[in-house]
Amino acid sequence: MKELFPAKQVIGFVFSLILTAVALTVYFLDMSFEMGITILLVTAFIQAALQLVFFMHAGESEDKKAIYTNVYYGIAIALVTVFGTLLTLIWGYM
Amino acid sequence: MKIDHSQPLEYGTHQNQMNILGFWIFLGAEIMLFGTLFASYFTLENGVGNGPSGAEIFEITPVLMETIILLTSSFTIGLATHAMRINNKKATLAFLAITLVLGLSFLSVEVYEFIHYYHVGATLQTSGFTAILLTTLGTHGAHVTFGLFWGFFILLQIKKRGFTPETTNKSFIFSLYWHFLDVVWIFIFSFIYLKGMM
Repeated sequence: MKELFPAKQVIGFVFSLILTAVALTVYFLDMSFEMGITILLVTAFIQAALQLVFFMHAGESEDKKAIYTNVYYGIAIALVTVFGTLLTLIWGYM
Repeated sequence: MKIDHSQPLEYGTHQNQMNILGFWIFLGAEIMLFGTLFASYFTLENGVGNGPSGAEIFEITPVLMETIILLTSSFTIGLATHAMRINNKKATLAFLAITLVLGLSFLSVEVYEFIHYYHVGATLQTSGFTAILLTTLGTHGAHVTFGLFWGFFILLQIKKRGFTPETTNKSFIFSLYWHFLDVVWIFIFSFIYLKGMM
């Protein structure tokens, strides 16, 4: 039975639950908007990285380089889209 | 067909390696797709018009249930991949089945949530905010629904054919897809729900 629950996966799962609990503090505790968003940004990106490395085995095959390059490319485009939109359509008019 | 036994079976052939790389490229495109949805959400979230705002319609209980269910299913699909690598067919099928049941539970809670939104007057046509909210949640939900069918057919194939270079490759790729849906949900949970209720 024990060999079905490798430490790496269990630790990854426990960490993701802890990060979710930390993210929840923005709902249950009273804090400023800036503080809350900072906590959410940190917990969300750590948790995404955790899934990628612990669960998705991103670094274990021969084409590791191609896989990471492609994922970073996707993330970069997504971030430019989100922050570029915020910059041109929201923040510029505040 | 040349099988490299120094690698896990799902990587064992050249074709398999290419399938996995190809799927990562697809996931890269999916990251960008959800990036555009989030960009639109942040643009439209204050456009509530005469409709309700996020703080008025979001409920913490179903959202928390969905999050924990999806996180757990991401864990169990990881265990299924591990069981596959140690050549334990029974455990692989069990973990895959648990993952699908959790996926179905997630979807049931989401359907409940959508019905709740409808009853409080937040439909696709109410305001810019509700339109982009339901589009973003719906796109994620549609991915989960598709994944349920996909996963179910893979379960049947492994049951029937056992572990072959094809079935292990398919179920590994399915596990990548499922983990990806969990990653997207983490961002929905943080930047749509928690940010909205803060």
